[in-house]
Amino acid sequence: MKRYAYYQSCINEAMTKEVDRSIDLWQHDLGIELVKLHESVCCGGSNLDYVSPKQFALVNARNIALAEKQGLDLIVSCNTCLMTIRTAKKKLDESPALRAEVNEILREEGLEYRGTSEVRHLLWVLIDDVGLDVIRKKVKNPLSKLRIAPFYGCHILRPSTVLGKDNPLEPTSLDMLLDALGARSIPYEHKNRCCGFHTLLVAEEESLNVAAEALKEAMDEKADFIVTPCPLCHTVLDGYQAKALKHNGIKGSIPVYHLSEVVGLALGYSERQLGIKRHIVTV
Amino acid sequence: MSDSTIQHHEESRDVTFRVHRFNPQVDSKPYFDDYTIKLEKGITVLRALNYIKEHVDSTLTFRAFCQAGICGSCAMRINNMSKLACTTQVWDELDKAREPGVIKIEPLRNLPHIKDLVVEMDPVVGKMKKYSNWVDSRMPEEQWGKKEFLVSEEEFQIYDKATDCILCASCVSECTILRAHKEYVSPVVLLRSYRMNADSRDGIHDQRLAGLVQDHGVWDCTHCYRCQETCVKNIPIMDAIHGIREDAIERRGTKDTSGARHAEAFMDDIEKKGRLVEATLPIRTNGLAWTLKNLLPMAVKMIIKRRTPPPPPLVKASKGIQSLRKEMKEMASHVTKDHEKKSGE
Repeated sequence: MKRYAYYQSCINEAMTKEVDRSIDLWQHDLGIELVKLHESVCCGGSNLDYVSPKQFALVNARNIALAEKQGLDLIVSCNTCLMTIRTAKKKLDESPALRAEVNEILREEGLEYRGTSEVRHLLWVLIDDVGLDVIRKKVKNPLSKLRIAPFYGCHILRPSTVLGKDNPLEPTSLDMLLDALGARSIPYEHKNRCCGFHTLLVAEEESLNVAAEALKEAMDEKADFIVTPCPLCHTVLDGYQAKALKHNGIKGSIPVYHLSEVVGLALGYSERQLGIKRHIVTV
Repeated sequence: MSDSTIQHHEESRDVTFRVHRFNPQVDSKPYFDDYTIKLEKGITVLRALNYIKEHVDSTLTFRAFCQAGICGSCAMRINNMSKLACTTQVWDELDKAREPGVIKIEPLRNLPHIKDLVVEMDPVVGKMKKYSNWVDSRMPEEQWGKKEFLVSEEEFQIYDKATDCILCASCVSECTILRAHKEYVSPVVLLRSYRMNADSRDGIHDQRLAGLVQDHGVWDCTHCYRCQETCVKNIPIMDAIHGIREDAIERRGTKDTSGARHAEAFMDDIEKKGRLVEATLPIRTNGLAWTLKNLLPMAVKMIIKRRTPPPPPLVKASKGIQSLRKEMKEMASHVTKDHEKKSGE
């Protein structure tokens, strides 16, 4: 059983509880153990970095140091947390002065940022550590009848200088995973585009237009549902779906699943067990 | 990309350019023309287009000038990404082609279309004017030409990368928010605004910043990083956007715009609980009236599905919050010292 430190994203603690619930169901089936970091704190959600760059570096150095203390990589299941913590890691790794300043403060708590733990998305662990062949063998309920629209979301792809796993123009990781689960992923332009989450409360109309365009393309392509590795994208595409489509005069609806739920379905868990019934848009 | 690079090792081959065509004077709607030409390895997309115009179809219309990646005229969408035709190798694009041997060429997006691959640049120029994208000298006019304005090496480093911008509008073409609302300031104008605001010779910093925080300004960026990813000069455009936000918070506080209030809420919650208190985030960003009007119908659906974030008293603070609070306080004192040092210089 390979162990990892698991970063608890605020949104998964509050609104999208089904993400952690579904991961808890199947993690041992795939030979991984995610140890929840109860001391970890909000990454700043792609906001703290410009409110206070040094405090941004501090909180995320602390988040990573908590994983380093246990000698484990830090695994994240929210794209924005991933991008944010990796951005902080890059800044810390490139600046010995910042690292020293942060570590002087963290020392009182018995923590030190050394840069030894990687910060990775759960999707990357499934592909690189568990392996697609192993996943393929564990599938009990192949999703072979389904046409799925993969929606990567921005912060697992861009900026590529911070993420670097997929080519942001032609990402393949989520498509490869869906293939291993027996599903067909459809090619569509929005798979690497934005959901509009980060402006929902600041420029709502723009966000609704962004989301509606993505939803419409998936519906036009006759996808059975959208799947995303990011709970923020899910919140817009599922929670705000009716509002976004209505605002843009588009009829219809399409379910949106989390990556963790699609894995769970293929491994034989039920929609009820996985928390899929909690979504706003249900089949 | 790497596995397919092996495929195109030929020194010459037939290549098809699938080019977006539209002449508003005769065409009712846009269409694509395929031009298949034999090309040698090492040729750029612009040279290929020039060849087509000279030898195959003289009606094909596009803009180009310097042929060296300096003037920014020949930006277009090549295989679904905005870039310069003159610095793009045909053989590199063959590796990225979705249909083997076919390179798709389209005009830039988010700008009015004129003909074939040519778009109207006036909206970009108009926004550069609106946000005063030039240095407005703070030197009194009578001293002009008599006194030097020195810029330190250290200061220049701040906007060195931003001065690489050649106004090609590739970032404009790929911008998520501009696609959603044409009034949005746009990445290039934010980049240049940042650059002008960081210049010590400029005298209208506060006025420019006041414009940037209005509707359709700096707070409307959704952090998708598409601008930065597409920039033909590899300019970290998001750093400039974040730089304006940091400056806005420092000089104007966190109360004047929904964007600043939203950002401040993250800071407050981390200091208090180490966790985001999502239930009150809309109220803290936009006030109670906005929240009730905009989010109440959705809140009802969320309550039914038990998806509502917990009310503030039920948001459990992270384990070890006492230590975090102390550490945040200590780092805040470092920041204060940094500011004192900066303003003392």
